[in-house]
Amino acid sequence: MKDSQAFDHRPDPELGAALRAALEPKDDQQAFAARVMAQYERALDRATVPTLDVLASWFRPGIAAAAVALLAGFLIGRAVLTPAAASIDAAMAPLEGPGLAALVTAQDPPDASVVFASLVDQR
Amino acid sequence: MFAKDKGGGAAGAGGPQPPTGAARMGSSEDDNGLVTKALAGDRNAFGVLVERYAAQARRVAWAVLGDPDDADDAAQDGFLSALVKLAQYDTRRPFGPWLMRIVANAATDRRRRRNVRQAEPLNPALVGGGPRPDAVAIRNELNARLRTALSELPERRRTAVVLFDVEGYSHAEIAGILGIPEGTVRSEVFHARRRLRTLLADWKEQAR
Repeated sequence: MKDSQAFDHRPDPELGAALRAALEPKDDQQAFAARVMAQYERALDRATVPTLDVLASWFRPGIAAAAVALLAGFLIGRAVLTPAAASIDAAMAPLEGPGLAALVTAQDPPDASVVFASLVDQR
Repeated sequence: MFAKDKGGGAAGAGGPQPPTGAARMGSSEDDNGLVTKALAGDRNAFGVLVERYAAQARRVAWAVLGDPDDADDAAQDGFLSALVKLAQYDTRRPFGPWLMRIVANAATDRRRRRNVRQAEPLNPALVGGGPRPDAVAIRNELNARLRTALSELPERRRTAVVLFDVEGYSHAEIAGILGIPEGTVRSEVFHARRRLRTLLADWKEQAR
């Protein structure tokens, strides 16, 4: 056994052997292994059947949640997009004077005073 | 099998466990081959793995729980949980640490669920109420003292020292099994050893 105050990164064979003897199970390992293997099929059944049950139980709520999410997305999308379309129409609508639409579609570049006047008109 | 897995860290009586039971008698196949067969539905291959790691799993569970009967239940839970999760095992890594992590978690879960007693009660037949002349009785008394000393250590500390000094895992592997930093493993092993070595030294002194 080594000095109890010293740090050692290697296993201590004497302490290990003493602990192993102290923790040695009473019955043999084959009896324990037989006990584990007696549960083999049941463990595999438990692992597969509940998964299908869980999937089945979530099917209807999943469909309902997806439908609600779709409806909410549609309503929110419509609420967001509708004002934006109206504002573009308003911007393109002719006001007093030549208007923004005439300015954008003109063949020749506009005079700076016309652009300024158009901006003032928009305000 | 284990000697290869451990990277030369363990030696002597405190080193890795040799295969037992069916593993010793029949199968020298490595763990990965057995896992592959078990995944393909080979019940016997999983049985060899169980026999190969039974002793180790039971000791580790005992270290976590401090009670041999609860430990066997936990080790069984661990093996069956490993069977269910076998497809998740990465065959590039050693099987032992992966399995021991599952066993240690199963033991910890069991302790939480049952809120098991703090210390293992000593078996009067082993302690005997006083020194007896035969070597078996003396040995039994030491075993009982060691179990008591282990049960008085914090759970993580006693599990770390059993994984290191009894099972021969490296600090890095124990860190993976217990889910704690490697430095913490070193510290836990150090403190556990200090306590247990003192007990062993006292016992030797008395035995003279």
